[in-house]
Amino acid sequence: MKRLVRFITYTLFASGSSDRMLGFLKKVSDYTKDAFGAANYLVQGLAVTFDHMRRRPITVQYPYEKLIPSERYRGRIHYEFDKCIACEVCVRVCPINLPVVDWVMNKETKKKELRNYSIDFGACIFCGNCVEYCPTNCLSMTEEYELAAFDRHSLNYDNVALGRLPTSVTTDPSVQPLRELSYLPSGVMDPHDLPANASRAGQLPLEVLDFMKQQDDDKDSESSLKNTPEIEKSAE
Amino acid sequence: MVTPASTASQALTTPGIDLELSFTQAIQGLGVSPEVAHLLWLPLPMALVLIAAVIGVLVTVWLERKISAAAQQRIGPEYAGALGVLQPMADGLKLLVKEDVIPKRADGLLFTLGPVLVLVPVILSWLIVPFGQNLLISNVGIGIFLWIALSSIQPIGLLMSGYASNNKYSLLGGLRAAAQSISYEIPLALAVLAIVMMSNSLSTIDIVEQQNGAGLLSWNIWRQPIGFLIFWICALAECERLPFDLPEAEEELVAGYQTEYAGMKFALFYLGSYINLVLSSLLVSVLYLGGWGFPIPVEWLATLFGQSVNNPVIEVITASLGIVMTIMKTYLLVFLAILLRWTTPRVRIDQLLDLGWKFLLPISLANLLFTASLKLLFPIAFGG
Repeated sequence: MKRLVRFITYTLFASGSSDRMLGFLKKVSDYTKDAFGAANYLVQGLAVTFDHMRRRPITVQYPYEKLIPSERYRGRIHYEFDKCIACEVCVRVCPINLPVVDWVMNKETKKKELRNYSIDFGACIFCGNCVEYCPTNCLSMTEEYELAAFDRHSLNYDNVALGRLPTSVTTDPSVQPLRELSYLPSGVMDPHDLPANASRAGQLPLEVLDFMKQQDDDKDSESSLKNTPEIEKSAE
Repeated sequence: MVTPASTASQALTTPGIDLELSFTQAIQGLGVSPEVAHLLWLPLPMALVLIAAVIGVLVTVWLERKISAAAQQRIGPEYAGALGVLQPMADGLKLLVKEDVIPKRADGLLFTLGPVLVLVPVILSWLIVPFGQNLLISNVGIGIFLWIALSSIQPIGLLMSGYASNNKYSLLGGLRAAAQSISYEIPLALAVLAIVMMSNSLSTIDIVEQQNGAGLLSWNIWRQPIGFLIFWICALAECERLPFDLPEAEEELVAGYQTEYAGMKFALFYLGSYINLVLSSLLVSVLYLGGWGFPIPVEWLATLFGQSVNNPVIEVITASLGIVMTIMKTYLLVFLAILLRWTTPRVRIDQLLDLGWKFLLPISLANLLFTASLKLLFPIAFGG
């Protein structure tokens, strides 16, 4: 700015050089162009914001609408008491040795007798290691995530609480289940008012499996065709 | 408040509805002296304006929340009343019953005086806002100048509360607010000056009158497009609205000068900022968008339907139409301010001062000069 002022005074009083005058005019026109460019960007931005106002809210109206958790959602852990063999693998793989396996040795049968099993969900980080390593598959992960409680001790679930199945979002009559973004059909952004049989974008896991099996079969038949003479040769 | 008979008898001498005259005449008809009648009249418009300002704020707060939500693809307040219209009431009620805390090391007197000094000038400025020919508290000769003078009291209050809070964020916020208000007042005043030059009066009534010759086409926005932009930018800066909300930029300064305030004192700031927004929008509509004027002059419409402008029914319709038009224009501008809030990023303090002193000030000066020369060249179109 200081330079500009010096420049103006110079151009006006000291020198009549047309070059300098042109340079000054160019600066003025550039400045004006910049100002109009900025205004143009502002109007474009306003148009974007204005356009958003006619769109349907993207928020999920939580207690009335809920998202359907994905297949591999790691929610509250489910536990089947009858399947458990009290091997304590879950305790060993747990980052903080959280599951409490309360068992006694039955001297007569020489077998472990399980009395109680509990996991404190106030401390659990839902890493799923116990589920991964359980040899009898008595542990599994549910889609339950509403674990708010007034007292942190009530989050310490015993085997009875662990054995309860959560209400599924899709079967709860008071809740409108909504699909997550990646489960919507290709090109659709709004989970409301979808046709019931609308398939999500891309292939479903079963379709992928079928495709892989198909490929394997093709390869097998190809290689068997190719390999037959060789096998025959080696057999000879 | 309007007795049709008295209005009709008065209509021959004054155009439009004059509520004060009809009221005082009706009171005098009951055998009261003119002075007492005037005294009885005085509190009425004051109360009306206070109520109008507060309701305007409630509506603006609700609009702000709903429009913000819409711009962000949310729903916004929904359960307090139909569509959440009672949400601002609930907010106000909450602030009303909250504990009134004065920090131990703060200056109690200045701390209390600050929000009052911010709010009072803003409410006082409603004095000059016209909703119709005679629908304003007082048609002061200096009109719009009074508003400019009053609005320069506000930074003192802001600085005061920022300093009295004894908190570095508050102090910084207060300083920023003062710097911002002072530097944007100058281009604002120059933009107003160009308007005043064209209408040959500081009175808001005259400014609107002079725009309503040919309806929409004679509004000042066509003669003063640059002035309109300057005024609007400066008004946003004076109201500390985005993109100029840096005195209370929460990412940097917690809440600026409001940091230490809670309860009713905070509510005063809150109220003040929203009344100021509505006031600025009102003044933009008065100065540039023809105030209470309908896009097609009411006189033309009246003659089209073969009615006299002085017909009492037409007068009432005209007055209500005027109020509706003023409010509509105002809320259109409030809407624009909210939309701008979610469009523009906040400027830095140096960018803010650059914009004020190096861009708006020279442009508004040039605009003033240009207006003056146009006034000399085309006195018919530019109020010579």
